[in-house]
Amino acid sequence: MLVMKHLQKVYRTHLIETHALRDFSIQVGEGEFVAVTGPSGSGKTTFLNIAGLLEEFTGGEYWLDNVDVRGMDDNDRSKLRNEKLGFIFQTFNLIPDLNLFDNVDVPLRYRRFNAAERKHRIEEALTRVGLASRQKHYPAELSGGQQQRVAIARALAGSPRVLLADEPTGNLDSLMARGVMELLEEINRQGTTIIMVTHDPELAARAHRNVHIIDGQVTDFDDEPKLVQRNARDDNHVALA
Amino acid sequence: MFSYYIQLGLRSLRRNPVLTALMVLGIGLGIAASMTTLTVMHLMGSDPIPWKSDKLHAVQLDNWDVNNPYYDDGRPPDQVTYRDAQALMAAGKADKQAAMWKIALPIQPENPEVKPFNSLGRVTYSDFFSMFEPPFAYGGPWDHKQDAEHARVIVLTKDTNEKLFGGQNSVGKSVRMNGVDYTVLGVLGNWKLRARYYDLTNGAFADPEEFFMPFTTAIDLKQRGSGNNSCWKSPADGWDAYLDSDCIWMQMWVQLDSPERLAEYKSFLDNYVNEQKKLGRFPRPLNNRLLDVNAWMKDQRVVSRDVEVQTGLGFAFLAVCLVNTIGLLLAKFTRKAGEVGLRRALGASRREVFMQFLVESGVVGLSGGLVGLLLTGLGLLAVRALYSSYKSVATLDLSMVLTTIALAVISAVLAGLYPTWRACRVQPAAQLKV
Amino acid sequence: MEFRPILSALMRSKVAMILIGLQVALTLAIVCNALFIIGQRLDHMARPSGVDEQNTFWFGSNGFGQGYNAKVVQQSDVALLRQLPGVADAAPTNSVPMSDGGWSTGLMLQPHQKKSTADSAIYLVDDHAISTFGLKLVAGRNFKPEEIKSLDFGDRLLPQVAIITKAVADKMFPDGNAVGKQVYFDLDPPTTTIIGVVERMQQPWMSSETVENSTLVPAFMPYGNSTRYLIRADPGKRDELMKLVEQKLTEANPSRIIGKMHSIADVRNDAYAEDRAMAIILGVVIFCLLTITALGIVGMASFWVAQRTRQIGTRRALGATKFDILRYFQTENFIITTLGLIGGGILAYAFSLYLMSAYQAPRLPWYYVPVGFVCLWLLGQLAVLGPALRASRVPPAVATRSV
Repeated sequence: MLVMKHLQKVYRTHLIETHALRDFSIQVGEGEFVAVTGPSGSGKTTFLNIAGLLEEFTGGEYWLDNVDVRGMDDNDRSKLRNEKLGFIFQTFNLIPDLNLFDNVDVPLRYRRFNAAERKHRIEEALTRVGLASRQKHYPAELSGGQQQRVAIARALAGSPRVLLADEPTGNLDSLMARGVMELLEEINRQGTTIIMVTHDPELAARAHRNVHIIDGQVTDFDDEPKLVQRNARDDNHVALA
Repeated sequence: MFSYYIQLGLRSLRRNPVLTALMVLGIGLGIAASMTTLTVMHLMGSDPIPWKSDKLHAVQLDNWDVNNPYYDDGRPPDQVTYRDAQALMAAGKADKQAAMWKIALPIQPENPEVKPFNSLGRVTYSDFFSMFEPPFAYGGPWDHKQDAEHARVIVLTKDTNEKLFGGQNSVGKSVRMNGVDYTVLGVLGNWKLRARYYDLTNGAFADPEEFFMPFTTAIDLKQRGSGNNSCWKSPADGWDAYLDSDCIWMQMWVQLDSPERLAEYKSFLDNYVNEQKKLGRFPRPLNNRLLDVNAWMKDQRVVSRDVEVQTGLGFAFLAVCLVNTIGLLLAKFTRKAGEVGLRRALGASRREVFMQFLVESGVVGLSGGLVGLLLTGLGLLAVRALYSSYKSVATLDLSMVLTTIALAVISAVLAGLYPTWRACRVQPAAQLKV
Repeated sequence: MEFRPILSALMRSKVAMILIGLQVALTLAIVCNALFIIGQRLDHMARPSGVDEQNTFWFGSNGFGQGYNAKVVQQSDVALLRQLPGVADAAPTNSVPMSDGGWSTGLMLQPHQKKSTADSAIYLVDDHAISTFGLKLVAGRNFKPEEIKSLDFGDRLLPQVAIITKAVADKMFPDGNAVGKQVYFDLDPPTTTIIGVVERMQQPWMSSETVENSTLVPAFMPYGNSTRYLIRADPGKRDELMKLVEQKLTEANPSRIIGKMHSIADVRNDAYAEDRAMAIILGVVIFCLLTITALGIVGMASFWVAQRTRQIGTRRALGATKFDILRYFQTENFIITTLGLIGGGILAYAFSLYLMSAYQAPRLPWYYVPVGFVCLWLLGQLAVLGPALRASRVPPAVATRSV
């Protein structure tokens, strides 16, 4: 699904060179739920930005869903992001001036879907996260957990192959965090690959596989994905108010 | 505290020089446009003789054609006939009265170095000087007796005295005009009228007079006026027929010191016209008017339509500039939401934050005002270049300078009110959370 | 593209939208009316006088002293002037078009008519006037030398013959052929025979509603001791001729003042000084106004871009291309401008109605507003281009940056 080989990312200013990632390799299979951990400054965010096609890399290879993204121009990268990736941000990044419906609509607009298709997808996505009844509400009227659910709906609406989550519970209290985490697990069970960056070991433990980054390199790289058959726990879908 | 706010304001303005420049320039341009046009309009239309403008009245009698009014809207003519001026002067029913007209005469200087030149003068009665109060540098006006004697006397203006006598006291000397000698009785001091309100027919901003001469003396010369002359029917041939005709070419002013005197004079005029009707004159309905100085200036549109439209436009432009400033201040203050939250958390009251931002707006206004003042100066120079006759009204006096600055500061503070209010609504906690 | 979401987002921050909209509205209303006024003034200024303006000039002579006989001086002056080298022709006249001073009278078709048929400016001239002014005779004939009467000032004007402009002819004899017809200069006879029609000759008064109503009357009539002359110079000789004329006439009779030489080109300049000033002032105001409005849009748009950097990054992360972002801001500006323009259109007509009622101004023609729409749309799109380009360069990685 996602393969990075010997990836390099160097930030240059006129004074110094910083190696954010060096000889970074990772492989994520379809349907996996990978947690990327590491101390701050280790390169987690750089990895996420490159994986999400938000930043370019300076060396190595990156294949996303069998597409070589090296040297792609900005428009093609935008298109690829739009079609194959879903983002969930630590700070939710909902657009405050748009209601929930319009927020989820944003990536679909860039996908040039027709109005009926968009409406169908938005309603389905909001239903999946349990907020179908609040389409006309604005982000400020929602709790943090609910806002992150909207962000998840927005990420899901375009049927991405990979969901990239950046500290998805970082701005939430533990109760809300649990709800969001359970929702992600649910989504993963339904087949979407998830890569989650977090520094919370408890959260990381719930992923299928942990990748630990230190100093821009993977330290705990297990090339063989352990497809753990999870026990049916009592993680019934609970919508948090 | 206030100086602290000013300090904060200045620092904040320095932080975004482009935005600040935009605001200051916006206010400056708006102020300049409105103040330039307002100055011209204000000076054009301002009361030229405020201490007695309500006592001086222009006399209007309607001696015009029964079929065609003088003005389409039915107002009586703006001038009077020699006949009527003569009769009203002879009756002497007002506290003071002066008929007058504009004349042009060649002056032949004694000094052979100075070539003969044409000069514009005003022919009038001795009351003119006590009614309109021009200052005298030397000597004084002629008196009623000299009016009656058709005396060959003259009052020079400052510039003419400069030209003929090098600015020396010329009282008693004589001036030769068109072959006749006149004795100088007085020389005016500096008399700068913005609008020559006693003769608007011949142009409020036309060239000023160079001498004054008794009415009775000038009539003897059989010299026609050089100002406007209107007839609704052709006079018979010759000078005497002209004097006797219904042609209008004189301005008639009276001074009436109280409302009672005004009422008395009004009924005197009505009686006069009714008597004349019996002689077959004044075929139109009774239509006499006695407008005071300010009403007269308004009636004769001293402030031209163009100037009014320009002033309206100037203020509309200022409005656009203010809306612009509100937007930019809003942008600026919204960006400082974090600072407001912090200050509030550190104990600033809403009121103090309000003051801080309002002072910042005021600082913008003050800078805009100074820029505006400079641009107003340039604007007035441009007006003087564009309208050669507006020199007297396109000048900036102290009160206008202060008005400019005040207008700028008030405008900016008003423009800053809404953005300031918005900035103050910031909750202390809201901005500090993340 | 995304009209509705942009509009609904705008409705959430109404104030900023109202501010820009209001600015655009006022700008449109002012610019439309100001442009209309400028257009009127330019039309006014473009009117032809009917006179050869390039080569002609006029001046006055003012005699003084006992024994000065203006009539005699006038005759000899005219003779002298016509012989000077560089003079194409010269004529005595009491006034010239556009000079703002002159004589007018009402012409009638019947004795004791209550209202005159045509008000006309009167030019007291001789048989050289048509050639000197450079007028175009379109019917009838010129004056003959023996038709020029010598009058004293104050004599009634009862000419035997006169030449009128086409404007007067059309007014008095609408069915054509004015030549040979009789008109009344006064209430009673004698009448005056029209012997010729010139195509055009303006009155001295530029604000006159019947500016082309003029009549040439054959008469020598000095105004007291003053006489006036019009001279047409050979092409290119005008300015040097002015000096020569002053010198020669002063030599011929020193007992007088030769007044300032006025080229007719200068007379036109002075006549339209106020119109020109108004047009210039309005033009400057329009320019400043458009500049301020454009800068206002730049300022506000820059602020919005700065404020929404994270949002832009998020949109980019969600798949918006740079062009999508650019178009977002252009569309947003288009919506705000359009709302402002709708208000501005109404305001423009309101201003026009006010000017009509307060100053008898003509109605604003309908097409000014749509043309103004297009101009301000373009202005808005251009003004927002810079900030929008800046927005499109916001890197998508902004979305993952911690606050």
